[in-house]
Amino acid sequence: MLAHEWAPTKSPKGEGFRMSETSRLHRLPLWLFWSLVTIVLWGSWGLVSKVASDGVDAYMNQLLFTVGIAPLLVFVSWKVRRGVASEKREGRNRGIFWAFLTGILGGVGNMAYFQAMVKGGKASVVTPVTALFPMVTVLLALVFLEERLGRLQWVGLGLAFVAIYLLNA
Amino acid sequence: MAWLGFAILALVLWGITGVTQKLSTNRISSERSFLWFCWAMVALSAVVVVAARPHWGLGTTVVVCSVAGGALNGLGAWTSFKALESGGKASIVISLISLFPLLTVMLAVVLLHERLTWMQMAGAVVAIAAAILLSLESAPPKVGA
Repeated sequence: MLAHEWAPTKSPKGEGFRMSETSRLHRLPLWLFWSLVTIVLWGSWGLVSKVASDGVDAYMNQLLFTVGIAPLLVFVSWKVRRGVASEKREGRNRGIFWAFLTGILGGVGNMAYFQAMVKGGKASVVTPVTALFPMVTVLLALVFLEERLGRLQWVGLGLAFVAIYLLNA
Repeated sequence: MAWLGFAILALVLWGITGVTQKLSTNRISSERSFLWFCWAMVALSAVVVVAARPHWGLGTTVVVCSVAGGALNGLGAWTSFKALESGGKASIVISLISLFPLLTVMLAVVLLHERLTWMQMAGAVVAIAAAILLSLESAPPKVGA
């Protein structure tokens, strides 16, 4: 397999992946490429946080997380400023609202997770249970985003939930 | 059982973020989405500094690892926005990237010399199968079908 055959390919937003059956076997969709990059980054974060977990409470975790993303914030601000002319204005405020809400919900979720352990929940129970949060995402995505999945993807989802539980137990 | 309430709260809030991420990238770029995600974190941290009492006395290693962890986690948040922006379905992308403990477990074995439990071994095998199935996209509908 040549390296360039695994180059990520951009798919049109919201239209799925348009490729022939043959080329689909050889090319990596862009969404899959970025998902795999996310797994690598979060997988490494999981290792680093194993070392860092001693003595960090929910609040310090939030503060140190923010310190960690500060350089990214500066870089992304610069990138957004550069690309502002080419971006469409329609729906921007709503998009910003959803992005901001993502941060707030994610941050409060992190604190609730820590608080669950402060209130007596064992990590061996709290972690695998909360790690099943994609179930909520799938449910909401099917209802509100009207996403439809293939049979094999449904099987994959079922296996993913089992795997998430086992890996976090 | 107060812990259970907090655990369920975390589960629900994290679950909702998968959908709000998609709603965001349907309207604005992944860069702008991530930028406002970061600002939300800054706002939350400001509230924490004012209203809560964080435990400041931490060792250098813990602080360095926590900050590095924040950067890695933040970069991951950005790439997850990019995955959704690139046409990935929220239900698939979020489920797929939630398999990241597979890599953590593998790294812990290699770098920290931890031993795999039977549960983790089984989880790793199932996770790989799940990732392959999740990444299979159904063929686009045939014209005239």
